[in-house]
Amino acid sequence: MRRHRTSVRNVLWVVLTAALVLGGLAPARSQEAVTLRFSNWHFVETVWGRSLREAINIFESRNPGIKIVPEPISYGEKEARYQTECAARRMPDVVKLHNFSLTMFFEMGCAADLTSFIQKEGPDFLKAWYDTPIKVMTYKGKIMAMPGDFMSMVLIYNREMLKAAGLNPDRPPKNWTEFLDYARRLTRDSDGDGRIDQWGFSIPASKNPGLPLRITPVVWSFGADFITPDGRSSALNTPEFRAAFNYIVELATAHKVVPPGVTTFGPGDVRTQMASGRVAMKIGSGWSYPIINDLNPKLNAYDTLEAAPVPVGKVQITAAWQSGCVMSPFTRYPEAAWKFIKFLSSKDMEKKFFEDNRVVSSRKDVNALPMVRTDKFSRVIVAELAHARLEPMIKEWPEIFDAFTTALHEAITGAKTPDRALADAHARVNAILARGR
Amino acid sequence: MESSLIYSRSRLVAAVVYAWLGIMGVFVLFPFLWMVLTSLKPEIEALRVPVTWLPETPTVEAYVVMWFRKHYATYFLNSTIVSLSTAAISTFVGALAAYGFSRFGLAAKGTMMGFVLTTQMLPGVLLVGPYFQILSRLGLYDTRTGLIIAFLTICLPFAIWMLKGFIDGIPAELDEAAIVDGAGRLTVFFRVVFPLIRPGMVATMLFAFLLAWGDLLWVQTLTSSEAMVTVTLAIARTVQEFFVKWPELMAGALMGGVPGVLFYLLLQRWLVQGLTAGAIKQ
Amino acid sequence: MMLGIRLPALRDRLMGYAFVAPALLLLLAVLAYPAGRSLRLSLSSGVRGSSGYSLVQYAELLRSDVFRQVLQNTALFVAASVALHLALGLALALTLNRPLFGRAAFRVLALLPWVVPDVVAGIVWKWILNPLYGLMNDLLFRAGLIAAPVEWLTAPGLVLPSVVLANVWRGFPFVMIILLAGLQSIPVELYEAAAIDGAGTVQRFRHVTLPGLRKVLIVALALDTIWEVRRFGLIQAMTAGGPGIMSEVLSTQVFKQYFQFFKFEYASAMAIAMTGLLLVVSLPYVRMIVRQE
Repeated sequence: MRRHRTSVRNVLWVVLTAALVLGGLAPARSQEAVTLRFSNWHFVETVWGRSLREAINIFESRNPGIKIVPEPISYGEKEARYQTECAARRMPDVVKLHNFSLTMFFEMGCAADLTSFIQKEGPDFLKAWYDTPIKVMTYKGKIMAMPGDFMSMVLIYNREMLKAAGLNPDRPPKNWTEFLDYARRLTRDSDGDGRIDQWGFSIPASKNPGLPLRITPVVWSFGADFITPDGRSSALNTPEFRAAFNYIVELATAHKVVPPGVTTFGPGDVRTQMASGRVAMKIGSGWSYPIINDLNPKLNAYDTLEAAPVPVGKVQITAAWQSGCVMSPFTRYPEAAWKFIKFLSSKDMEKKFFEDNRVVSSRKDVNALPMVRTDKFSRVIVAELAHARLEPMIKEWPEIFDAFTTALHEAITGAKTPDRALADAHARVNAILARGR
Repeated sequence: MESSLIYSRSRLVAAVVYAWLGIMGVFVLFPFLWMVLTSLKPEIEALRVPVTWLPETPTVEAYVVMWFRKHYATYFLNSTIVSLSTAAISTFVGALAAYGFSRFGLAAKGTMMGFVLTTQMLPGVLLVGPYFQILSRLGLYDTRTGLIIAFLTICLPFAIWMLKGFIDGIPAELDEAAIVDGAGRLTVFFRVVFPLIRPGMVATMLFAFLLAWGDLLWVQTLTSSEAMVTVTLAIARTVQEFFVKWPELMAGALMGGVPGVLFYLLLQRWLVQGLTAGAIKQ
Repeated sequence: MMLGIRLPALRDRLMGYAFVAPALLLLLAVLAYPAGRSLRLSLSSGVRGSSGYSLVQYAELLRSDVFRQVLQNTALFVAASVALHLALGLALALTLNRPLFGRAAFRVLALLPWVVPDVVAGIVWKWILNPLYGLMNDLLFRAGLIAAPVEWLTAPGLVLPSVVLANVWRGFPFVMIILLAGLQSIPVELYEAAAIDGAGTVQRFRHVTLPGLRKVLIVALALDTIWEVRRFGLIQAMTAGGPGIMSEVLSTQVFKQYFQFFKFEYASAMAIAMTGLLLVVSLPYVRMIVRQE
């Protein structure tokens, strides 16, 4: 008994000591080379992650004194993490963001001013990019980030499923009336067991950062908008918005052309649905194809899927997506960080990212390349950039959109009537905007 | 015959009791079963409608992918080190404090104990931001030590509370007998009390270990590099990825639960014994 | 070296503080600043450049219909979870208190759900309750009980119950173990005395078991309530508070306000309100412990 008692105590001591010792071992950061922390949500993806790591290898081989440390992060948590790190002056040296939060980071002082670096590159440096991306990166006359990919949202559909439903695979729906008709014809029981196993359309209607991109095209094309042009009040009570809202809600409630549980879907769920042949149409962009292809190679995504402009309502319009690279204002190696950012947004790398990930660039020279111009998806995406609009870049936008999504959920699940849900959201958005003033 | 009536009645009661236990057993176990079955299916089959129960083409592909491609070994190491350290330190420091609260008439003891309890009530979300700043300033951001310090603040109050109950259950006369024999307080603590509350220490260590292992909010905010990811964080990130591969997710979740289950199975004997002996006997 | 019957009272008292000091100092050091900062944040107006104190955030909490819904959801969620934890835990503890075949094995198995991190439990139950690929609907379908998929996590009346179901699965084992331990510390003689006095099963339960369990029940109730008000990972993983705000509780809403809308002041006010609520709820328990000293 004595021995047992002592041995347990000894074990506990050993564990304690070992724990303290091991716990204190932090990963050593190499002091000889310049080390840059690079955070990007694409690191967790199979295809894009690989592409990024290859790019890093190329950069490191060309710049032997600089080491890049990848920091994966998930798409949903990035804003929270970066702003916490910024508040503690410990932001990664280079960070990838997108238009949703760029302005917010500029305002919070969490992006370094790149204007002096750009000026050193010569007067024609910025001419390689379109105007809109540069404008998005500019804050109070200073350039605070470098543009990355610049995409428009398009309608992606499965031509085989259209054919099987008796529709012309080369004639996608051009307006919302046709779209509904197609969606209904594409929602069917394909294997004859009495249960519907295939739906015409799907959308990630859960509260996730990917929803605004996919639903604003629908809303905007009905001629509606979320806030009034002066930005002071909600526009959710306009007849156009009500029409758009009811249309979307009825896709799920009355016509049932979306799979059940649509309010729980994230972008990944929708891509999986498309990859497994359960859904015929979705709204997406260039990045969808490599992901869907990787999810189910048997689908032959590049042959089976097609891209078309988003159906037209009162207006032909779609949503634009803009990503950008920000340098931490607290970085110890601004010169090296600039080198890396410049490298990532160079023509060679943007070309590589297109080849690997099918994303269209903010650079005119890359989009003019034959491979981009002839690719059947990017052809459409680049063309639609002409009608593409960015989400409002005000700091209340996440909360405003959250109020809208709540209304959408309430209407789709039947907790409230669409009119009631919309009215409540309208009141909330007004309260949100009033607070800002 | 009265005895046969009693006999058949107790048989009936026994049958009901076993049926009830059986139902509860199924309730407790079927999610685990479903996790295992899903983890052994290939991706496409997991998404089949109608659902298949037994995998038609069983495969360990999900486990292979999770372990190798996703560096699960690193995550395991991190989780284990952090959770074990937190458990050990919080139990030990908590035991000292619990002894102090139990045996001594301290001024403002009620306030101090109230303070310890109140610390349990602050929502983690609130503390995460300021913690980040503190740890950064100390150079402990993105380190296991930083995580341990953060977890201590969750586990320590809990350990103090639990262990005080156990120590209360040990008669103070034992302490005084040792003091009469010339022992100092520390000696009393280590030689007399410590061995007797072993079941309680085990129970506390297990609880603290599980609390630290399963945490998501702190790990998410207080680490940034791949080298510091824990198992729970990896699982949560798998869900937040752009595509959810359910077999991989279930395999990850199962692998992530194994250490906790092992720890529990090893120590469960002391757990109930510890609870019986201690915290309850107020 | 002090020989004698007792150590000097003062030196002993100081030893007492020495035992308590490491833990208290650690807690003070790491919690005082964040708690203080949160309190300060909650009392600022949120307007850039202003540094005075203001009750604006709390006023907005009171005005907000979202906050009211969140409070209601939290109250329902906590009440249902704790009640079911207690009911199931007590029933099982009573069952396992008698000599039974396989009792030890069952006790070991029964704690398994509690060993699973609550985020993982949420993910698994979300998968089980999936309308198309989930086990639950498949079982009900095969049993002929339903014709169309039940939308567990999206039908307005079913969301909260579904989340509670997952939470009950995950949480009842802890309560069961504590109650079982409490039951085992009730002396057998009390039961025998009651039986001799002619008490039936129900009466023995009311007059021996319940009083004997009283303290343990209060401990379990208080602890569980505090933990369930703070429950975050499970709900976030299952529904993220949705659809809409139908399953939104205090912890998920504070998270959203802080990390998605960046409204730090408002989120702090909500969290302080949540802490206040918890204090009020657990006050009787705190008083009980303190009164014993």
